[in-house]
Amino acid sequence: MRKNYWKKLAVSMTLVASMLIGAAGCGSDNSGDTNKNTNTNTNSNSNTNTNSNTNAGTDKKDDGNKNSNSNVTVEAKEVFGGYKVTTDNITLTFWHYEDETTVDYLAEKFMEMYPNITVEHKVISDMSTDLSAAAAAGTFPDVFEGTDSDTALANMYWADITEYWNADPENKNLMATINEYGIGMFDTSVRYAAPMMYWPSAVFIDRNVIETLNLDMPRTDWTWDEMIQLIKDATVYDPEMQYFGLGYYNRLDSLYGIAAVSKDVRQIKGEFGFNGDDFDLQYWAIGEQQFSDLKLAGYVAPQQSTQEMEDWTGDWDTWFGATGRVAVFSEGFWTYQNLWGTEGYQEQYGLDIVPYVTPNVIDEKEHNVISTMYMGGVSTSCKYPLEAYLLLKFMGWGIDGWNARLEIYSDPSITNASGVPLKNSQMPMPLTLDEGVWEGYKKLFPQDEDRKQYWDDYFSSVTRPVPYGWYSIAGYWNFCDQYFNSIGIHDLVDNGTAKAADYTEEATRQANYYHADAMITYFGPSGYNVLTDAELAKYQAVVDSFLD
Amino acid sequence: MSKKEKKQKKPKIKVGKLEKREARAGYFFTLPWVIGVIAFLLVPLAQSFKYMWYNIRITPNGMVYNFIGIGNFANIWHEDPEFPQQIVTYIWQTCLEVPIIIVFALMIAIMLNGKIKMRALFRLIFFLPVIIVSGPVMNMLVSEGAATIPSMNVQSIVAAFDVFFPTSVAESIGEMFSNMIMTLWYSGVQILIFLSALQKVDPALYEAAKIDGGSGWECFWKITLPTMKPMILLNAVYTVIFLSGNEQNTLITMIESAMFSGTKEKGYGYASAMAWMYALVITLIVGLFALMLGSKKDVYDKKVKKFKREQKKEERMKRRVIRRGERNAKKIARNQHKYTTYDGSGDY
Repeated sequence: MRKNYWKKLAVSMTLVASMLIGAAGCGSDNSGDTNKNTNTNTNSNSNTNTNSNTNAGTDKKDDGNKNSNSNVTVEAKEVFGGYKVTTDNITLTFWHYEDETTVDYLAEKFMEMYPNITVEHKVISDMSTDLSAAAAAGTFPDVFEGTDSDTALANMYWADITEYWNADPENKNLMATINEYGIGMFDTSVRYAAPMMYWPSAVFIDRNVIETLNLDMPRTDWTWDEMIQLIKDATVYDPEMQYFGLGYYNRLDSLYGIAAVSKDVRQIKGEFGFNGDDFDLQYWAIGEQQFSDLKLAGYVAPQQSTQEMEDWTGDWDTWFGATGRVAVFSEGFWTYQNLWGTEGYQEQYGLDIVPYVTPNVIDEKEHNVISTMYMGGVSTSCKYPLEAYLLLKFMGWGIDGWNARLEIYSDPSITNASGVPLKNSQMPMPLTLDEGVWEGYKKLFPQDEDRKQYWDDYFSSVTRPVPYGWYSIAGYWNFCDQYFNSIGIHDLVDNGTAKAADYTEEATRQANYYHADAMITYFGPSGYNVLTDAELAKYQAVVDSFLD
Repeated sequence: MSKKEKKQKKPKIKVGKLEKREARAGYFFTLPWVIGVIAFLLVPLAQSFKYMWYNIRITPNGMVYNFIGIGNFANIWHEDPEFPQQIVTYIWQTCLEVPIIIVFALMIAIMLNGKIKMRALFRLIFFLPVIIVSGPVMNMLVSEGAATIPSMNVQSIVAAFDVFFPTSVAESIGEMFSNMIMTLWYSGVQILIFLSALQKVDPALYEAAKIDGGSGWECFWKITLPTMKPMILLNAVYTVIFLSGNEQNTLITMIESAMFSGTKEKGYGYASAMAWMYALVITLIVGLFALMLGSKKDVYDKKVKKFKREQKKEERMKRRVIRRGERNAKKIARNQHKYTTYDGSGDY
């Protein structure tokens, strides 16, 4: 009997222990997932160190050595505006969406500049989930970049970095709209975020298709109407396989809405005709309807994984950009570097892709271009905001960071975990206007005389970025969730069930309400509390008139 | 102390050393479950109950609670039309799918209980999806279209049902047909439960029935099914819970996405309100199945019980008569002593 008792006790204790171990595993922090760039520097009183960093991306075994720079002693380094970097040995966490290997290298370079700072980084898989969970667990990163500003603002993730931004001379030489439109300030007097990664929308043309169809290449400073005409002219029936004028990733209404009117008429600084105060969807409606008409009239190539694609090419999974039967592409900038620009791709599919300036609706030389633009900020829980700001700048728009990037992008032997050279893995475009950076950057693109001019023209046309709404407009997602997407306006207009103009008035009213409501919540007394009484009253009036 | 209380009080028995040890071992065995229930059920349950009355912002410096009363419920019903719609769809689909899964599982279990070649292999085949098709694998299979039967024209089925039922019902039925394979994959555990119940049925019952000339069909309806009835309820409850909590359930996805949504209306509070509403609906469905399948006593049982009751009554009466007789006899004896005759014989 006694033997049985001990047997039972042992089994029960084993069960309890295994459960507790399991529970401990559930509650462990995220440090196991975070890449840690360890700095084994031991020099003292000097910034010119003999750093022997190991790359965390290539040797993950070092991950356990979290604070190996704890014995580094440095002198206080002055950066800008009289600010001095801490001499404490600190660790900063950076969460981002970039290629892991790229950030491994950049973190290493940053730690060479600031030997007493260790950088740990992690790729975000889902912003809301990852950051909410981190905030709840008390493991929030010091610096992060985000794809959804509403989430960051609603939960007060981003701290005020206005002081550093204004004191930093590098920020005077950025693409004009960043300071002109206050991108990252969300129509307040405070800077919460800064543009980190920039990919302008782009229009590409397949010269082989233009040549085959005996069409003329358009002028590089073409207009919107000229583009539409080309799309129509290049849609040709062929018994072997039809030619389509347009293949799209970015919808044409997004491109149109940003550049629809002269800034003397309306200063459009965001999607849906947003001018910083309110929305006006009449410009969007014109572009939306035009795009829908093109689709319904058969000028637009089918999307991947659709029955239409199978009917056209015989293969469900074909991507229109690899058919050699599409003339104009409304694509993300990254499509060139990630696909068309990779070795042998164009030859394999019989393509000759060149970039074009995003066409200008009103024939003005200088115009805005809609862009994918990740925003980054220093978190409100960060204990070293200056150092975090320096890291943010280095990873985003800073010249030092970009010089480090150019080094690694220029070396095709440096590849990511998938074996892809880093310049072919979501390489962004610099936000600084520094000539040295741009000179190096342009060299990463075709340099032959035949194509170089196209690229130079393109680069000079994308210096006035305007981010998509979810990056820069408070309440944008609420409007989309609650109204625009919930009734499926794009689908209704695209399939001809409704006209875009039918929604203009109500959509404008709804967008203004959700924006005003979000401004009060995010920046009013229950949030950051930075709005003046007059501003609060203005937004409250919009909310009240909507609810009435 | 009243007479009744006195009667109820049991004599105190000192617990022996051995029993104490066994009790301790028992507690140790149940400890993982108790800890699990407290940590992962009761605490989150209490927390979510609290959260549903608040709008919660999770800032890097801590959680910010803003009491809004029934505000989360109002938002769900007024501003999130998809949730109520999905609840209705869920009720329909569950009510349709549960009987299908139960009937299918019962059929397969009966077949697997028979004497067939490679019985163990077939049992393994039917249980395999339960092991293999865990959440992420199932998601991948569904996205690849593995849960549908390509040759089945779901549109025609919907059109056919649309004639007799409202469109929403017809669409729910169509949805069920389009996910038919997945529905059948969900039957593994139920098959196992039915199988174990079938093996517990006393073979003597079948033998006796067959001697009396009962056919297989009659044996199924008169012996197998009544014996399995409690297991049918168990499986129905299990199926409802499984269908309600798996990763393919749209409502679960919605609650999860609301929980981690950073928008100002949603978050933990909003998701908790959704979860409690959903839990209430699940409880109602479980209650409905319990009402439908809960064991009701049959006529035979009732008669047996009545007979036993009457038997007991008769016994009580008999005891009473005996007691009364004894009392009377004693009374007579006492009287005999009390009232003596003149001659002292006691005879009057």
